[in-house]
Amino acid sequence: MNEMIFPGDLVADHEQHIPGCYTENGKTYAATLALRQNDHVVPLKGQYVPRVGEEVVGIVTDERFSGYTLELNSPYEGDLSTRETREELKLGAVVACKILAVNEVKMATLVEPHPLPEAILVKMEAVKVPRLIGRNGSMLDVIQKHTQSQITVGKNGYVAISGGDTKLAVDVVEKIERESHVPGLTDRVTKMLEHKSGEMHG
Amino acid sequence: MVEKEDLFKNGKRWDGRTPTDLRTPLAITAGVLKRAQGSAMIEWGKNKVLAAVYGPREVFPKHLADPAKAIINARYIMAPFSGLDDHGRSGPNRRSIEISKVAKHVFENAILVEQFPKTMIDVYMEVLQSDGGTRVSAITAASVALADAGIPMRDLPVGMSAGKVGDAMLLDLDKYEDNLGDSDIPTVILPRTGEILLSQMDGMLSKKDVNDAFDLMFENAKFVREKQLQALRDRYEKVEAQVQGENA
Repeated sequence: MNEMIFPGDLVADHEQHIPGCYTENGKTYAATLALRQNDHVVPLKGQYVPRVGEEVVGIVTDERFSGYTLELNSPYEGDLSTRETREELKLGAVVACKILAVNEVKMATLVEPHPLPEAILVKMEAVKVPRLIGRNGSMLDVIQKHTQSQITVGKNGYVAISGGDTKLAVDVVEKIERESHVPGLTDRVTKMLEHKSGEMHG
Repeated sequence: MVEKEDLFKNGKRWDGRTPTDLRTPLAITAGVLKRAQGSAMIEWGKNKVLAAVYGPREVFPKHLADPAKAIINARYIMAPFSGLDDHGRSGPNRRSIEISKVAKHVFENAILVEQFPKTMIDVYMEVLQSDGGTRVSAITAASVALADAGIPMRDLPVGMSAGKVGDAMLLDLDKYEDNLGDSDIPTVILPRTGEILLSQMDGMLSKKDVNDAFDLMFENAKFVREKQLQALRDRYEKVEAQVQGENA
């Protein structure tokens, strides 16, 4: 395992703006649990805060005259205008969206909604989403190929899975969240997928 | 029953410790509650405290929201079965409201609250078994729970207590030393910067005594911090060991 760092540990002797860190008196310190990999600091835990341009998956929690409020696995909510969608969304509907803007109190304005009516929703740690996607989407491609599922990953940690072997897909997502800090993740995931999908078809 | 004369004799405390010994066991476990965002359990001597953290989340009631920072909702309470005698009656009382308030200020100064405006972070500390020094045990456990929840902090607060029995300055007082001793001073420290986030003196101490007490507590805070880090490390190393076991 890479070296684990804790809140208050020194990360750099100069000011550096890295996720999961803070600066004080010209130095950079860790603010959350993280792993130090060479020069990188990879947080192990953290909350999702909406950022412009990111794709997220949300749940409709409120319906108003002018739009919908979406819960985004974050302390801050998203707002989807009715102008963006011709379909009527029900409370509890799962929708994939893009963040157009974030205002001064960090509330997100959402656009380009894609309702996912058949999807199963899995919640994972938002800081571990990059591991699920993999380099250029490689991890996600492998999972989709083996499970035949359509997987929509929100940057906020909500993962919508529809069709194919949903149980296997859910298991894989949970495995990635649990084991992402242990080296050799890609190999283990591939092995699990080949083993399990082989069981089903063979 | 322990009498005041028995507390400190011939360089030994009534339970056999030297003046600078911490109570044993000092064991912290992180992630004990599945539904909480972060949790920890501490066993410090005969103290047992469970801490759970939720948030940051939307503020209820809404008018309490601060547009500049997150607000902290700390709750310290003793279980009705936690204490001896009348110590630790159930329900919120004057004492638990006061400790909740001072704990709130500790976390406000340790958490990077300005990163989460208009939100609130809940910190619950339930004392299951008490034997003196529960507020410092509770805060020590809660800081592990906060780190486990992924809430950004400047450092992990460490709770310590010291106090005077007769002429001796003792570290980490238990219930008898606390109740029968001359004075005590529970303190919460940020080890990296050496900041003091809480310090409540009960009884009388001279300026020199206070300095001695702080020296003693600062010196031993590192040991408690190491236990906190180990609790967090264990949570991830357990998964690693499991994975390696499967692949072996």
